[in-house]
Amino acid sequence: MDGDRRKVLRLIGKGSVLAAFLAQIGAAGRAFFPNVLYEPPSRFKIKRPDDYPDGYTLDAAHRLYVVRQKDAFHVISAVCTHLGCNVQWSDTEFDCPCHGSRFRPDGTVISGPAPRPLEWFATSVSPDGFLEVDSGTEVARGFRLIAGKGNA
Amino acid sequence: MADQKESFEAKDFGWMVAMSLLFFVLVAVGFWLEYSTDWGTYQRTFPGLLGHYGKVEEARNFRAGIRQIWIPQMGVTDRCVTCHLGYEWASVLPATIAEPLKPHPMNDWLAKHEFARFGCTPCHGGDGAATSVIGAHQGGRGWEDPMLSRALAARNGLTMNEMIQMRCNFCHRHDVATPGMEQINLAKQLFKKKKCLVCHVVEGRGGATGAELTYEGDRNPELLNFAHVRGERTMFNWNVQHLTQASVVSPGTQMPDFNFKPDESRALTLLLLSWRRLPYPPEYIPDPEVAAAAMQPSPTPTATPTPAATPPPH
Amino acid sequence: MADKLKALWRKTFWAWSPESERESSEAIVRNFWLHWFPAKVARASMDWNYSFWLGTASAALLLILTVTGVMLMFFYVPSTERAYGSIKDLEYAVSFGRLLRNQHRWAAEGMVAVVYIHMARVFFTGAYRGTRAINWVVGVVLFLSTLFLSFTGYLLPWDQLAFWAITVGTSIAKQAPLVGPTVQFILLGGHEIGQQTLLRFYVLHVFFLPVFVWVLFGYHMWRVRKDGGLAAIERVRDARTMIPKTTPASKSYSLFGITPGTSVQVMSSTGLEESDQVFSSPNMSRRIALVFLVVFNITLLAALLFNAPLEGLANPSVTPNPAKAPWYFVWLQELVASTTVRIGGFTVSGALLGGILLPGFLLGVLTLWPWLDRSPLRTQGRWLAPERKRQNVTFAVATLLIIVLIMVGVYLRGPYWRIYWPGQARPETPRLY
Repeated sequence: MDGDRRKVLRLIGKGSVLAAFLAQIGAAGRAFFPNVLYEPPSRFKIKRPDDYPDGYTLDAAHRLYVVRQKDAFHVISAVCTHLGCNVQWSDTEFDCPCHGSRFRPDGTVISGPAPRPLEWFATSVSPDGFLEVDSGTEVARGFRLIAGKGNA
Repeated sequence: MADQKESFEAKDFGWMVAMSLLFFVLVAVGFWLEYSTDWGTYQRTFPGLLGHYGKVEEARNFRAGIRQIWIPQMGVTDRCVTCHLGYEWASVLPATIAEPLKPHPMNDWLAKHEFARFGCTPCHGGDGAATSVIGAHQGGRGWEDPMLSRALAARNGLTMNEMIQMRCNFCHRHDVATPGMEQINLAKQLFKKKKCLVCHVVEGRGGATGAELTYEGDRNPELLNFAHVRGERTMFNWNVQHLTQASVVSPGTQMPDFNFKPDESRALTLLLLSWRRLPYPPEYIPDPEVAAAAMQPSPTPTATPTPAATPPPH
Repeated sequence: MADKLKALWRKTFWAWSPESERESSEAIVRNFWLHWFPAKVARASMDWNYSFWLGTASAALLLILTVTGVMLMFFYVPSTERAYGSIKDLEYAVSFGRLLRNQHRWAAEGMVAVVYIHMARVFFTGAYRGTRAINWVVGVVLFLSTLFLSFTGYLLPWDQLAFWAITVGTSIAKQAPLVGPTVQFILLGGHEIGQQTLLRFYVLHVFFLPVFVWVLFGYHMWRVRKDGGLAAIERVRDARTMIPKTTPASKSYSLFGITPGTSVQVMSSTGLEESDQVFSSPNMSRRIALVFLVVFNITLLAALLFNAPLEGLANPSVTPNPAKAPWYFVWLQELVASTTVRIGGFTVSGALLGGILLPGFLLGVLTLWPWLDRSPLRTQGRWLAPERKRQNVTFAVATLLIIVLIMVGVYLRGPYWRIYWPGQARPETPRLY
């Protein structure tokens, strides 16, 4: 009887120490997943549509290209889908300096190790007239945003 | 036991002594390299030079060591003066002394841009943190902003003073014209005359047909297409040729061929490359009106200064 | 007074010749530095041509790295704003700072190489059989830790070279199935390399990983002793004891339950005879000191001759062309750049195949090799035993392929990762002026 009680108490004791330790380890581990990030938000405003010339304009800060064809806009990511280097627009195609991936003007892969085409970001015009990019949302190639006064 | 010990000792002893000696020699070489610097040589000759020109007291008080001008508000740490020791001695040392001990010419600009407030690299470029000749002038691998030396300026068809005007315009960007900045002044005139703002945005003004030029100087040279550029693969050269004949450098562009004269396109290139994102605080940015007033030809040198000519209080 | 000092000196550094065997073996026990070693060591283990003393060389490099690393910590600031400047100061304004950084850099790259060659030696001599299998696995973990130490240190200068090598490296981690994005997220402390990344890499590099490696290194050494010494003695033992011998009842160890089973087999060296052994002090301790000296000299010479690379300040919006991983990961970069498989509309990323699956497979096979090796036990402790010819050739070929890939990546790859043969003109990188 006495022995049984000891056994149970010992089990409870061991169990609680173990559980407490595991919880502490878990707590320490949880701290490594940041709750806030000092990064630009995934949805951000860039400039007004009419601030962009025809063709491909690099926005280095946001690592994307704004593409304008008359009144039609779309936004292509400048981040190579392979290993995250910045691709460079060379008038006819995108080239990645890290592993030599090449992309067509619409972002699809010509050659190289990139597994996927460059991402197209959802783009809209904000109520106050700015282009607004959501880099967290991909859109299909062929997406066009009609904006701007067509002065180009 | 004795033989065994003997055998291992015999095998290792010589090596042990040799390696210990080599260790000592290598550490000694380390010391020698540490104390045989580029700047050490110059610092040893400089007190003698001061003494030769009558500054015996200063020569005696000369202390060897790395010197730096530190201006935290500009992000400047310039150790150039570790070698360029004569820089502030123009009143004593003749200008004929060879570099690096040669004094900095005491001109009007320097009177307004004191060493203690501006340092060296904001005007001259280069890597101010470096204390070796090559490191400071060229910068290491991947250093994009070398010192604007005479040779570098000559490669781009300019004199050093003309080349440096690009860096003057870092702060003097909003002057319509600035005394002593002929290249930039010419470029600003041309920029207005050719109506560049019709197609290009600069600081929020202008049309969007062409690329925005507000931070044109920050563009990555690797993003430029050099396929149709003659000569050196530099952003400077690309701009010079692009400004003159855009249709050749960028086939299919909407930009017209302006057919500038070489000196005009070089001046415009200096202006474009001067447009960078810079961290300088407001106290370093001059009031454009001061420059405008200074540019007015005064009728007689003795005339009372107009109110506009006095610098506004900061 | 002088006598007391002399006695203290002797107690600390052991600088006298023992008069008798008893004195010699007691000295080992009494001296803190020497008690790590067994009293006696087999002559076969002392042989230069058997081990090349590569493990000792790795330990010497670890010591150099720890000392120079702690020195560097006094000058380095792990902040994105000041890290690059503090390295520039080390290069140009701190007395002997450049030498310190160079030595740390070359010792680090040397350690990656020496630890690998040490592992190759153990493989080619089949020195991982029986209880030594555990130490083989420990060694593989130590090798991985060395790589990770080197990799975390790579980011700290916060220059273009560092920033983009780590971008490529952590993007490979992201490609791992299921856990990849999470691993990348906690490594970076966000979605892109920033202040959090620098701080995490810094703490891993200066505290967590070095402590881990030192502890594991201690265990690695302890295992060598408990396994009876280097496998070279098995050869001698086989020669001495022709009749198979049952292991004598062993002492039972339980170190935090780290070792599997109920006990560690303490190999008796009864098979060895008096003439096969020498006192480890001074014979082995002297030789260890000699290896340390040689390694100090080589790293110092490298530090005097070559400067550690430092490029422009890290710039997230400009990727250098080409951007290369550290040389010991360049072979992975080669695989990553050339193993993308396309079957119809279905694409397997090169990063997944070349960066995760293939190296993961290689690592798994490497770790489990002691249990895959079916050659007779008598091959252990012998260089290139004929019975193990096939596996030795496989290992050598794999190593050679990796070296070739590294050479291609380091020397032949130019802008846009294109191949440029030696002598072939590379396009000049455009400059500002």
